[in-house]
Amino acid sequence: MLERYSRQILFSPVGEKGQEKIRSKHVLMIGAGALGSGNGEILTRAGVGRLTIVDRDYVEASNLQRQILYSEADAAEKMPKAAAAERRLKAVNSDVDVRGIIADATAELMEELVEDVDLIIDATDNFETRMMINDIAQKYNIPWVFGACVGSFGMSFTIIPGKTPCLNCILKSLPLQGLTCDTVGIIAPAVQMVAVHQSAEALKILVEDWDAVRPAFVSFDLWRNQYTSIKMTRAKDEGCLSCGTDRTYPYLDVENQSKSTVLCGRDTVQIRPPRKQEIDLQNLGVQLRALNYEVKGNPYLLSVETKDNRLVIFRDGRALIHGTKDMALARSIYQKILG
Amino acid sequence: MNKVLFFAHLRDAVGEDFIKMDAAGKTVAQLKELLKEQYDLPRFDTVMTAINEEFCSDDDVIQEGDEIAFIPPVSGG
Repeated sequence: MLERYSRQILFSPVGEKGQEKIRSKHVLMIGAGALGSGNGEILTRAGVGRLTIVDRDYVEASNLQRQILYSEADAAEKMPKAAAAERRLKAVNSDVDVRGIIADATAELMEELVEDVDLIIDATDNFETRMMINDIAQKYNIPWVFGACVGSFGMSFTIIPGKTPCLNCILKSLPLQGLTCDTVGIIAPAVQMVAVHQSAEALKILVEDWDAVRPAFVSFDLWRNQYTSIKMTRAKDEGCLSCGTDRTYPYLDVENQSKSTVLCGRDTVQIRPPRKQEIDLQNLGVQLRALNYEVKGNPYLLSVETKDNRLVIFRDGRALIHGTKDMALARSIYQKILG
Repeated sequence: MNKVLFFAHLRDAVGEDFIKMDAAGKTVAQLKELLKEQYDLPRFDTVMTAINEEFCSDDDVIQEGDEIAFIPPVSGG
């Protein structure tokens, strides 16, 4: 077993003890897009004990330019990313207990999953989920590594509860978003640069080399050749509602969580049912075909063409409505099909 | 004199990596207001600001020679 990790063990800050630690740890990764691909592959190859991956989306052709875990076959089959990532990562390293969960990363789900998790990797594409991760991390005392990118620009910061400022200290409120993803695009090296910053931090945390953890907030622009490193000690806010003395974990409050979301960078709205469901997709497919809808599917999802839109329905009742950014229209299309 | 640096879409809005200006004595909030008048800076209120590579708040006062950086949070991943 050790031969496989010999070069990593030879690196003295890891060593045999560090390798055993990596092997004993459980990482929760939220998101399996571009950042999730980069982080997931590095941590799997490094021999982490368990890797749990949550993702709500499925693979499309436009992902393949940067989401290194996926193939053309995954896109053709519309494989859910969590399932495709699990399959690929198990093939990369069968030592690792990889579990892909096809679901929206709600606060409720993450609270169920964090038991015995040692580290959370942020591989999401939106600040609403990041703020939830931030609150969960503070509540359960779990380190997490923030990462984000757009265009040729990327950023990362490591958050250790009780030690560093948290994301809510830094941002104070949920930043408005959406515009940049839609208009600026993204190049793969920017993603990889963020993912390697995150996974290097992850390895330090997994081997418990706390002194090596980077205290600075890094950001860089690979096209403009900028690299900045910002000291964050002063960002720590004792009045912060996520990590201060009178904390309330505001982003775990169900009232603050949206049920429908416009997906970053896409002409798509996600609709999430208020309660968990288990939909019989096969049966639904038969019904919809009888109504003359064009329906395609795999065991995880159904894709349904309507006049102007395309719906993708998952087993948990969640749906992506493509071809619109109008949440009200998306809800009405959803209700027409799913009642 | 002060050097003011812009990142990501702010850099595109300004058209330069940085500008030189005299901002000594102003608070960060005042500098932000001034820059908003000169440039079309989308979502400028939620940017992270650093003085001399250290996180700072809107109330901090800029000194002669300070280097100010505006780093917008981006959401992609």
